[in-house]
Amino acid sequence: MDGGKVTVGRTAALYAGAAVLRLAIFTLLPDLPDLLTGRVEISTPVTSFKRLQEGLFLYNHNVSPYDGGVYHQAPLFLPLFSLLPNALSYPIFTYLLYIAIDLLSAGALWRIADSGEAGSSALFTSPRRERRWNGFVIAAIFLFNPFTIATCLGRSTSVFTTCAILHAIAKAVSGAPFSAMVALSFASYLSMYPLLLLPPLVLLCFDRQRPERANKSAVSFATTHVPVVLGVLGLLFGMSYLITGSWEFLSSTYGVQLTLSDLTPNVGLWWYFFIEMFDSFRSFFLAVFWLHLSCYVGGLSVRIRRQPLVVLTLLLGIFAIFKPYPSISDTSLFLAMVPLYRHVFPLMRYSFVIAAVIMYASFLGPAFYYLWIYAGSGNANFFYAITLVWGLGQSLLVCDLMFAVLRDEWELERPEMAGKEIRQI
Amino acid sequence: MPRLLSSALALRRDPRILKIPPYLSLLCILVGAVWLFLLPLNEYSRRTYISENALLPGQVHTYFGGSDQNVLRAYKQEVNSLVGKSNVEINDKLESIVKGLGLKTARQNFTYSAAGRTFEGENLYAILQAPRGDATEAIVLVAAWENVKHELNKNGVPLVLTLARYFKRWSLWSKDIIILLSPDSIAGPQAWVDAYHDAHDSSRVASLPIKSGALQGAIAIDYVQEHRFKSVHIVYDGVNGQLPNLDLINSVVNIAGGQMGMGVALQEMWNHNDKYPDRLRTMLRGMLKQGLGLASGPHSSFIPYHVDAVTLQPFGEGWQDEMAMGRVVEGTFRSLNNLLEHLHQSFFFYLLMHRERFVSIGTYLPSAMLVAANFTIMAIFLWMKSGQPEVPAASTPESSDKDAPTPTAERDLFLPLAVVALSGSLSVIPLYVFNHVPESALTPLFYLFLVINTLLPISISLTTTKLFSPTLQQYHLVKSFSLLLLGMFLSSLATLNFSLAMLIGLLSAPLSFVKPYSSPVSRIVGYVLLNLTSPPAVLLASAAIWGLNVGDILREAAVAWHVTGTTSAVVVWCVWWPAWLAGSVCVLGQPAGQEGKVKRA
Repeated sequence: MDGGKVTVGRTAALYAGAAVLRLAIFTLLPDLPDLLTGRVEISTPVTSFKRLQEGLFLYNHNVSPYDGGVYHQAPLFLPLFSLLPNALSYPIFTYLLYIAIDLLSAGALWRIADSGEAGSSALFTSPRRERRWNGFVIAAIFLFNPFTIATCLGRSTSVFTTCAILHAIAKAVSGAPFSAMVALSFASYLSMYPLLLLPPLVLLCFDRQRPERANKSAVSFATTHVPVVLGVLGLLFGMSYLITGSWEFLSSTYGVQLTLSDLTPNVGLWWYFFIEMFDSFRSFFLAVFWLHLSCYVGGLSVRIRRQPLVVLTLLLGIFAIFKPYPSISDTSLFLAMVPLYRHVFPLMRYSFVIAAVIMYASFLGPAFYYLWIYAGSGNANFFYAITLVWGLGQSLLVCDLMFAVLRDEWELERPEMAGKEIRQI
Repeated sequence: MPRLLSSALALRRDPRILKIPPYLSLLCILVGAVWLFLLPLNEYSRRTYISENALLPGQVHTYFGGSDQNVLRAYKQEVNSLVGKSNVEINDKLESIVKGLGLKTARQNFTYSAAGRTFEGENLYAILQAPRGDATEAIVLVAAWENVKHELNKNGVPLVLTLARYFKRWSLWSKDIIILLSPDSIAGPQAWVDAYHDAHDSSRVASLPIKSGALQGAIAIDYVQEHRFKSVHIVYDGVNGQLPNLDLINSVVNIAGGQMGMGVALQEMWNHNDKYPDRLRTMLRGMLKQGLGLASGPHSSFIPYHVDAVTLQPFGEGWQDEMAMGRVVEGTFRSLNNLLEHLHQSFFFYLLMHRERFVSIGTYLPSAMLVAANFTIMAIFLWMKSGQPEVPAASTPESSDKDAPTPTAERDLFLPLAVVALSGSLSVIPLYVFNHVPESALTPLFYLFLVINTLLPISISLTTTKLFSPTLQQYHLVKSFSLLLLGMFLSSLATLNFSLAMLIGLLSAPLSFVKPYSSPVSRIVGYVLLNLTSPPAVLLASAAIWGLNVGDILREAAVAWHVTGTTSAVVVWCVWWPAWLAGSVCVLGQPAGQEGKVKRA
């Protein structure tokens, strides 16, 4: 599993293999993409390809795409997809676009892996950093992860966000803070929640500055780069305004995420909670849920200041569990980042349990959804119970990874404790 | 609490702990099996009851009888004159009768091909529009020209025609009544109900020209015998082990058994004394049918569409006549007519052991889950075992330090994952082949497969030993992964088709306890024993026990796969068989480390 020597041929073979696999599934099983597009595990109200088609239809007929309350995605998707031929008559172009996005994400991930940031950052160098996988293996794990493939086949628009986030991180580790900020603005524009990644990303950029033009003060670094995000976001909003002709898109895209007005079931923990809730408590709990989601940012950035990439990884895991409309696409992004920490895997304690829980949940989830929706013999509690298990599996992974990383740091501070059992006293 | 946790964690390293899981998993299997046999006891099963108050079964006076008897006799005469004629001729005559009653009629062609055979025919159906309804809901009355055993439904078809004429006179229906006359009991109703829900493949099954509202229930009449009957047999198994709502069965039991005073039987238990052995037999028969997932009558095709349906078969020598049967249907239809919403109150997951006794999912599910859990326990155990270094820790001087945890050995995951993935992907071949060859080739192919199946693990084992010389750890990991997958699939399956999960779980229970044996004799003995529980061997054995032909079983399976969409074959070939294959490879394994140890000793 060390990947051996990476040659141009092997790189091309990996990308070609991933592309051919996806293309083969698209062409040999033509019904599968549409089936996956309809699955709640893959398509959420804010990423669904079907809803995008609806918005596109309205847009092309000069009606506001947000009329009808089905489309909740960013307006700039509309001109992009209008450029492509109709997805129903010539689906191949859409397929190629999605495959290309996956390959771009893999490329960014490869650069992150090869930078070695996971093993040795500016402030911390892990003694175990030699045991790592190279970019080839990391990219292969991402490209052949069934969750990634399913997301690509389901043509969820979250792949664009995934790609933007990975590029932001890749630019940050390669010492290009300006590009990183631009990429993060795109991710935030598409899905909003990546804006929460800004603090650790600024720290990462600060740590990985090119020495020749390094800015010594973190505060002045932040004050020069955060406005970039705001500027680019403003520009994107302005373009969206010009396209749709009104500011309606703000409430239809970001407003829906903030207020959870569409309660379609998904693999997250919000929908059931807000279905059950009396309306008078709704706004209070919306605030609590959002506060909960965002409170991790500060804490983790401070506690694991020495390894900002860890903070980003853990936050992606936390978002995949606790954001309002999560899907397996968010999990696939988190699972793409986890293998970067190959060197702390031996410190993790529950790897088998985590794998078993995640696999059990991914089989039981569709079974229970079937019982609820199609067979009519189960009910919503069945599916919600399994999304709780799914969340449990991922949160175990987040906790275990955090434990392993902190232990790794701690063993460098206290070499005499290396390899000893820890006890809470 | 933290102290307890940390001592539990410390206990994890204790070598004695690692001895427990095999016994624990054996215990799980035993408890799961014993649990099943406790279910028929009074303490664990419950009396049935009507949950949906709107049904009011047996509360109305039924008026079917009197002059309707003469009408029935006339229709019987007409139907008898049609015996031996072609499907279209029969439908022409029946259509003229039904049209004469003033109902809208339509026909539908269908063609299925499976196992080299073609199943084609033409359904005839008629819609009685509800005088008090708005065509948003409908109930279906089905009579197939021949039943599943290909006997002519000589009394059923005239009875349905008479009932249609009788129902037409009443003004109290609030749901449309659809009369479906299909040429056979499986393909015809399947084609019709698929087309009714627009889920048909229009190249093989024609669309329906006229439709009514959402189907609320269906009753099929399978009335073959010519003389008077004693009791009614209720057939309720749906495709893929799905069951109708228990309220429907309870209503029929209530009307036939209570109001009409006739006997009611389930699962071909013609005489049931409501004692433990009979209850157990009824339950096990029901489980077997559920596990096979085949269609058992015209009603079976309705159940996957969430339309509750049963088939009623009169049987035995008694004094009940066709009119009594008609009154049972009338009473049931009056109850269904009362429904304000779809049947949902009562259970969809149950095991019936007597007409008035059942166990619900909460009581019986733990048994299948325990059997599935045994595989997961073994998988976790083997994972932990594979992490232990092969050289005993006592030989290193540092081990005197009590605090030092035993180091975890590096696991080589690639080969085990490859073996498990290989056995999983090979499973597509038998699944495809057995469902796509013509009938005549099935029996020879089966015996050929039996031979290949015996040799395949040997060849895989020899190849891997030669090329990779796997270590004991890798064999542990192969088994761990395959058992993890098996446990996962079975626990998911247990929620969909309990009986099939239980059946496969018990049959593959030996896989939990196989391991690479060091001596050649025990390796061969282990392999032979394991071969006795292989999927094809079990198929052969069950064919011998029930006196059936293997070819017939495979043909029925292929027909079920193509016509009714039975998915049991997927479970057998893609869940059970790969696990068996991986287990066999493990039994035959000759770990590389082992030989070295023997040499050193």
